[in-house]
Amino acid sequence: MKEPLFGAFEKADPGEHHLGPNQRVDAAMRHYPRDEAVDYVVVGVGSAGGVLIQRLAKAGFSVIGIEAGPFWDTERDWVSDEAGSHGLYWEDLRMIGGKDPLALGANNSGKGVGGGSVHWAGFTPRLHPSDFRVRSEDGVGADWPITYDDLRPYYELLEREIPVAGPPYFPWGEPHGYSYAAHPLGGVAETLVRGCTRLGIRSVAGGPVAINSGSHGSRPHCIYRGFCIQGCKVGAKQSTLVSHVPDAIRHGAEVRDRCMVARVNMGSDGRVTGVTYFDPDGNEREQRARAVIVSGYAIETPRLLLNSACAGFEQGLANSSGVLGKYLMAQIGNVVFGRFDDLVRMYKAPPANALTEEFYETDPRNDFVRGFAVQTVGPLPIAFAQHMMVAKGAWGWGMRRVMMDYNHWSALGVLGEILPWEDNAVTLAEERDQFGLPVAHVTFNLHENDHKVADAGVRKTEEILRAAGATEVAQEPRYAHLVGGARMGASPRDSVVDGFGRSWDIPNLFVCDGSILPTQGSANPGLTIQALAARTADYLISERENAIAARPTTQVPIRYDLSPAEVAGRGMPRLKSRHPRRFGAGALGPGSRG
Amino acid sequence: MSARQQSKQQHDEQTQQPSMAASDAASERLPRDPRTGQPLAPRHQPGYYPGFSTLSQQAFWDDATRAVVRKRVEQPPAITYFDEAEARVMEAVCACVLPQDDRTPDRRIPILPVIDERLASGRINGYRYDDMPPDAEAYRLAIQGIEGMARALGAESFAALGLHQQEELLESLHEGQPLAGGEEFWRRMNVRRFWLMLVSDCASAYYAHPWAWDEIGFGGPAYPRGYMRLRDGQPEPWEKVERRYEWAPPPASRSESAESLSETPEAASFAPGSH
Repeated sequence: MKEPLFGAFEKADPGEHHLGPNQRVDAAMRHYPRDEAVDYVVVGVGSAGGVLIQRLAKAGFSVIGIEAGPFWDTERDWVSDEAGSHGLYWEDLRMIGGKDPLALGANNSGKGVGGGSVHWAGFTPRLHPSDFRVRSEDGVGADWPITYDDLRPYYELLEREIPVAGPPYFPWGEPHGYSYAAHPLGGVAETLVRGCTRLGIRSVAGGPVAINSGSHGSRPHCIYRGFCIQGCKVGAKQSTLVSHVPDAIRHGAEVRDRCMVARVNMGSDGRVTGVTYFDPDGNEREQRARAVIVSGYAIETPRLLLNSACAGFEQGLANSSGVLGKYLMAQIGNVVFGRFDDLVRMYKAPPANALTEEFYETDPRNDFVRGFAVQTVGPLPIAFAQHMMVAKGAWGWGMRRVMMDYNHWSALGVLGEILPWEDNAVTLAEERDQFGLPVAHVTFNLHENDHKVADAGVRKTEEILRAAGATEVAQEPRYAHLVGGARMGASPRDSVVDGFGRSWDIPNLFVCDGSILPTQGSANPGLTIQALAARTADYLISERENAIAARPTTQVPIRYDLSPAEVAGRGMPRLKSRHPRRFGAGALGPGSRG
Repeated sequence: MSARQQSKQQHDEQTQQPSMAASDAASERLPRDPRTGQPLAPRHQPGYYPGFSTLSQQAFWDDATRAVVRKRVEQPPAITYFDEAEARVMEAVCACVLPQDDRTPDRRIPILPVIDERLASGRINGYRYDDMPPDAEAYRLAIQGIEGMARALGAESFAALGLHQQEELLESLHEGQPLAGGEEFWRRMNVRRFWLMLVSDCASAYYAHPWAWDEIGFGGPAYPRGYMRLRDGQPEPWEKVERRYEWAPPPASRSESAESLSETPEAASFAPGSH
């Protein structure tokens, strides 16, 4: 057996809680007495919850994050191995149906501190300005109650806090740049860039991605091992577990892990009083709070609010509109595979490594509205075998042969916009989970525009792979990400929460996670979710007592001083926008060469 | 004509001339040398990366990963969910879905124990389709369905069928239209969803094993060392260059001509999110 030249690598320190090889939980966690009401309980410490508890604690609020999964020690709990990483995903029972059932679990659902940001590939494009005005511009979907301009400062802030590595110039949406260097290209990104270049399609490489290209604080840079979606042991890929939770604990937030919230409790005054949850030993406990923020993502958030139905709220909390659970979205995520005569070795480099958004916007020449992005995907062997099982129908000796050619294949993903439809919904199933709580039932149907986006995306991606030199292409249908289900809106009649995530029905109940997105564009939602969380936190902090009462404002000062220490007060280059602040449909259409 | 097309054509010619194939039961299942039609002797390590060994690199892995992978290799779990008769059927099914006849017996990768352990522990992938029973129940029903189909083909069990009929039977599941004989069991589930779960479970067990990584040239665990040669398919110093050889499936095998399932209603992948 070969040995490392300089001896074995360092082992995990006994008694230490590791968040990457160099970072530790460096402060004793505060424990609030069980009979004490805190200011905020945040249900779910994922992409949004991690940012929320950090902000609220740093601003001086008492806050508890209650998380169904474990508070990971990355050195002990995570492995550099596909089959060994199931614990990262929400694998408890959920029922799925409809014409086009949505696979859940590893596909889109995290469990444990950090949530989905633990297993995301880390692509962090912003939404485009047009995404906030889909109803006005295209007559479909919904408008957001906020604009791109409202979110821009939070995109910039989170791009620094994550921090996002990317190209100096990103030409789509509102053009912008990144202050952390783009990553080198792996084999898959080379095929995307080569194919796009030969077809005259603009592409960007090496990001934008939530992976360190240089060390950042106590988090090292990427080592290009390709196991991003198995949890980044390196600590180079951002999850809120490594970027925000340590700072939250430093400032007095408590994280109660392996605790499953069963319901949000209502008081007789029409306000929530806190939550009831099962602790790690299965005991039912209550935690009182002056306000509750539900950050359980697009399935568990509606499920919890539906499961919290009580007298006066028979259809679930915050559901007077009847839209709770509805307008759930996933993105078109077809993966297109190209076989090359030369080796690609797609397991090296981050899966999130290059993309084009040239076909993102509505193009009047198409017979559909909205569009798609094309991004790199780097499936490891088990995932690739599952893909080939469908794309080529591989089994038996056919499976053995195509897998022997694993290193010859490249995989690009379509990321296409599915519009919000009322019939795509989370409801309660008859089945119950290990706590006796009704599980979620998820119905999903593609509509005509969605099919057309998928078909166009697949055709374009096949063209890119062939232009890059692929001698064989195959594709399989797939969905990526989840958003919607508790959407924000301008009116209590057709939305669950307002533009800051406050429920219309209950003044001290908030929702802040991917479920509040009214539409989704063709951008991976992770950055937007974290940016929305920082914005909601600023709102709650600026309102102080009023936030817990009910008096929404629309102007919120941006708290740059709340960033983790590595980031606070530092700037980033900002490209001067050449576009007007309001973006019309024509101004940002796809490039004419597409 | 590419080497692969050539081998495919030669394979097709052979399957039309079954007399050329060796007839005894063991060699019936061996892949062939497409030039001679002769069975290829089982290899210690099939695949195009002779001498590549991920396990030889384990000193470069972190402790947690090393423990998980070594346990997988050294301590395959015992069968506890399936009873003896069910296990016999499932062994034969797994041997068709993920055939390993090109491996020497000491280097075959345990598949059924991994599936059994999942079902025994109740671990699911995070969801169940409306038109499917729970995973563990679906496997029990499917075994009865497969046995019913085998009896309709005149055998006492799936395990007693020849390779060609075994694959014909499984192909009918792939196509979502099971052969006669197991209707009462298949009626209770979406057949193609079961098929996809079965193939996925087999492939997940096989390609989780370091011997399979060696076969396909996958570098395996890479923390804390990482990769430094990202471009042009270059190997790291401890990886191997590709050295291809031609092989054809056993003449009776039909699995390599399977149709893509991308256009079927059950197609949407459940592979982990990758972008």
